[in-house]
Amino acid sequence: MRILIKKKEIAPCTVEISNTFESLHAHVRFNNGAIIYPGDEVLVHGRPIKAPYGKIVKEDREATILRATALERVWTKIIGKLEFMEICEFSFTEEVSL
Amino acid sequence: MKDLIDDNTTDMAMEETLISPRFYTTNYKELDKIDVSRVRSEWDPLVEEMRSDPNKTHFKKTSDWDDFDFENLEPGLRKEFIDFLVSSLTSEFSGCVLYKEMKRQGTNEDVCELFSLMARDEARHAGFINDALREANIAVNLGFLTRKKKYTYFSPKFIYYATYLSEKIGYARYITIYRHLEKNPDSRFHPIFKWFEKWCNDEFRHGEAFALLMRTDPKLTSGINVYWIKFFLVAVYATMYVRDHARPEFHKAIGVDIDWYDDKVLRMTTEISRQVFPIEIDHDNPKWLIGLKRVKRDMLFYAKAKQTKGFIAFLKRIYGASRLGISFVRLYLIPAKKNKVPTTSRLQPSY
Repeated sequence: MRILIKKKEIAPCTVEISNTFESLHAHVRFNNGAIIYPGDEVLVHGRPIKAPYGKIVKEDREATILRATALERVWTKIIGKLEFMEICEFSFTEEVSL
Repeated sequence: MKDLIDDNTTDMAMEETLISPRFYTTNYKELDKIDVSRVRSEWDPLVEEMRSDPNKTHFKKTSDWDDFDFENLEPGLRKEFIDFLVSSLTSEFSGCVLYKEMKRQGTNEDVCELFSLMARDEARHAGFINDALREANIAVNLGFLTRKKKYTYFSPKFIYYATYLSEKIGYARYITIYRHLEKNPDSRFHPIFKWFEKWCNDEFRHGEAFALLMRTDPKLTSGINVYWIKFFLVAVYATMYVRDHARPEFHKAIGVDIDWYDDKVLRMTTEISRQVFPIEIDHDNPKWLIGLKRVKRDMLFYAKAKQTKGFIAFLKRIYGASRLGISFVRLYLIPAKKNKVPTTSRLQPSY
């Protein structure tokens, strides 16, 4: 892990998008076992993948993983405590007025 | 962000709404170390119940799903109702991504199975809401996958506190609306509410699972963590209060008084949370409601200040943020009530 300079990695990945009545989900899986750590950024290459309604689309792609620096990693861990409200859901978006 | 697209399954121009789920990482090694043997006698039946998938056939559109025309809704109500659907969908979706990731990165068999079952439920709920949105000619755009995304970190215990409360509040909200509409069917303006009764049992079960996870390690609900639990209780309750009060048309349409509804939902959540939390919010302390109203007022002020630009607006923002911070601290400092946690925690949804 570097202290100041970000490291770039290219990883093969499989993207699965399901846009069906039974299941709406989207996942990216890294096929080389790469693990994402706090503060890392991920960019899947190529055109946006669209799944028409009723279809499940699976595509092998490449992704760039931009590794966070040691400093960012610590920072993300601290900030994470403050961003927890995002995983709480109460049926409405965070806009206080529409 | 909204624009028009051509949805190739219907040949009809649909409004597209972009959903932006969040991406998280956590300490997967810590998850692997979870040992459920302390709660095994409650864990196994719960997982078995989830494995048997009681809601497998529930999320189907039957003849109960009456025809519904979104265009007939008042514009204000339409906006709030779509906000409700999109936000619910995003939350189911984010839950699914989080649970699936926890399942994929872990090696602990008990924990992996649990998260995989919960991911299944969330994806199913999201699919159901998606279908309701499609009836309103709104297509969900999942294009976020190929955009750069940053991973936020939450330690496992924060995920337990936050998702436990989120699942149990979700249950309390859905069942309260369902029971209310059972008595007042004329206010049921959309068929989706008919599905809430069994739907929220999934949320209830997920909450049960997080209660058990917290009980695998007594440290999670004692010592300094009691202060964290209080922090989550206060923050989550206050946020719900503010957001609900900002959606008057929705609540008017289903015929509920927001003050009555929030009080009922929060008291129900508090009652349920006695299964695991050693403290509870004192809803009968008059300062609690006064404090909530103060947070609501300051949150609105701050949100307004954020919408404008310029130096004066900048000062207003700083002033607003400090005022909101102070109001939150005052709410936090209202003494909580102590609660003796029972030796077993399993509850059945009985509201």
